[in-house]
Amino acid sequence: MTCEIPLSGFTRPLARLIDQFERLPGIGPRTAQRLALHLLRQPEEQIHSFADALLAARSQVGQCQSCFHLSAEPLCEICRNQERHTGILCVVADSRDLLALERTREYKGQYHVLGGLISPMDGVGPELLHIQPLVNRVDRDQISEVILALTPSVEGDTTSLYLARLLKPFTQVSRIAYGLPVGSELEYADEVTLARALEGRRPME
Amino acid sequence: MIGSNGEGKSNLLEAVELLGSLRSHRCSSDRDLIQQGQATALVRGLCGGGPGGRGEAGVGAGASQGDALELELRRQGGRQARRNGKLLERQLDLVGPLRCVGFSALDLELVRGEPALRRQWLDRVVLQLEPVYAELLSRYGRLLRQRAQLLRRGLGGAHLADLLDAFDQQMALIGTRLHRRRRRALLRLEPLAAAWQRHLSGGNEQLLLHYQPGTVLEGEEAEAPWREALAWQLRQQRDSELRLGQCGVGPHRDEIQLQLGGQPARRYGSAGQQRSLVLALKLAELELIRQLWGEPPLLLLDDVLAELDPTRQQLLLEAVGQGEGYQCLVSATHLGSFSDDWSKTSQVIRVEKGLIGA
Ligand SMILES: [Zn+2]
Repeated sequence: MTCEIPLSGFTRPLARLIDQFERLPGIGPRTAQRLALHLLRQPEEQIHSFADALLAARSQVGQCQSCFHLSAEPLCEICRNQERHTGILCVVADSRDLLALERTREYKGQYHVLGGLISPMDGVGPELLHIQPLVNRVDRDQISEVILALTPSVEGDTTSLYLARLLKPFTQVSRIAYGLPVGSELEYADEVTLARALEGRRPME
Repeated sequence: MIGSNGEGKSNLLEAVELLGSLRSHRCSSDRDLIQQGQATALVRGLCGGGPGGRGEAGVGAGASQGDALELELRRQGGRQARRNGKLLERQLDLVGPLRCVGFSALDLELVRGEPALRRQWLDRVVLQLEPVYAELLSRYGRLLRQRAQLLRRGLGGAHLADLLDAFDQQMALIGTRLHRRRRRALLRLEPLAAAWQRHLSGGNEQLLLHYQPGTVLEGEEAEAPWREALAWQLRQQRDSELRLGQCGVGPHRDEIQLQLGGQPARRYGSAGQQRSLVLALKLAELELIRQLWGEPPLLLLDDVLAELDPTRQQLLLEAVGQGEGYQCLVSATHLGSFSDDWSKTSQVIRVEKGLIGA
């Protein structure tokens, strides 16, 4: 039922594989064909371990109970790490942003992954995000500073301003200073820019 | 450009407008600009002249030092702009070599029509003065839409007030910037428009462009007090906003009142006065852009000349011919609707089925 047009000439099982690759983000028809043909040339064990890895990742990776980062354990590696500071917490929209910040090696505190940004147009209000657990956590764990590291879009700024209002009774709230051009995505910022942004964070009004 | 309706004249003018201003007066979404069944659209233009190229600025002019401008639109969103083959980091960087002012049949409603038309007219002028204005406009528009959806879908729950506070804070900041820029642009346009109105009415009609911001703003413009005023008024109108489902203050409620001899032209002007007034506003726009950039912008007259009587056609022709003159791209269904002087001074091309003929 899918893709008769571009995949004519491929035998059915191969067409099916190419079609699966094409559904992945950032992969066009040509790359999909190259990947599929490449896999066909691999030894069978290799294919088995690839397929296992896919299934295992899907079935075992869930969310950390504390920070909502992707994790196979109830608590993620970052939350379990005894050497990280416990009093400081950085709020990000999703796990990709967390990983971008980790790459800077500048930050040694805790994280909290919201699972998105407030966007009424998309039906996303605060209760769909991990905001209540954040407030509970800040209150319970005696967090002395919360750093908001959200993309400076309308949705990111709305979420930041909203969180600042909720969290101020409990702790000090700052946001990372954007040397980033307006409209840019956190995930794509280079490490140097992000590290500088972390250092230059400012208290929220 | 002569051709029957639907042959592609307006399309061509729209393409020039897109290259010059990154906008189309006809549609707000790129999807509507891309041919059905196609994923992308490409507009490519060569403009000659540039600084020092006095009077020669124009599309397709023998461009020895010309700029090749290119704008690619995509159905899935996102644009790519190139100048002389080089990909630009921001599409805004495309603006500059080709300044243009559009004048279409839609503009004839400028005086009589809804306030939104006058806001759009003013916004187009501000955009030419200050391209970053586009960012402010789109951000404010998004804030308005998000805020409206928040109320419509009842997503705030127990924290609705906190969420509205978050919106107020952003809208006060951006709204104030819009107010200030619109007001400043009007102050610059007013003397020019008033002079043209006197000229077009053959004497003494006094034109005033009165800015009526959608926020009560006291005193001379100043960022901080205006922002506080807007923030305060946003808070005050919440109850009525919840009832009516509509945010009651801010630049989306701005009106530009056009007064002739102290009376609102929208209500009291005759049809002829209103036509002249539209002309005066467009000519003021043209002149302001010329003053600012030191070069005459391109004037795009889309199906509008035939709507003007011979006297006003003549006045327009004289106006755009003054000094170094403006290059005009004019579209019409047939030559007969032009005064002889227009026909004589123009190069005529035919547009058929999307192609330019002899
Ligand atoms: Zn964790």
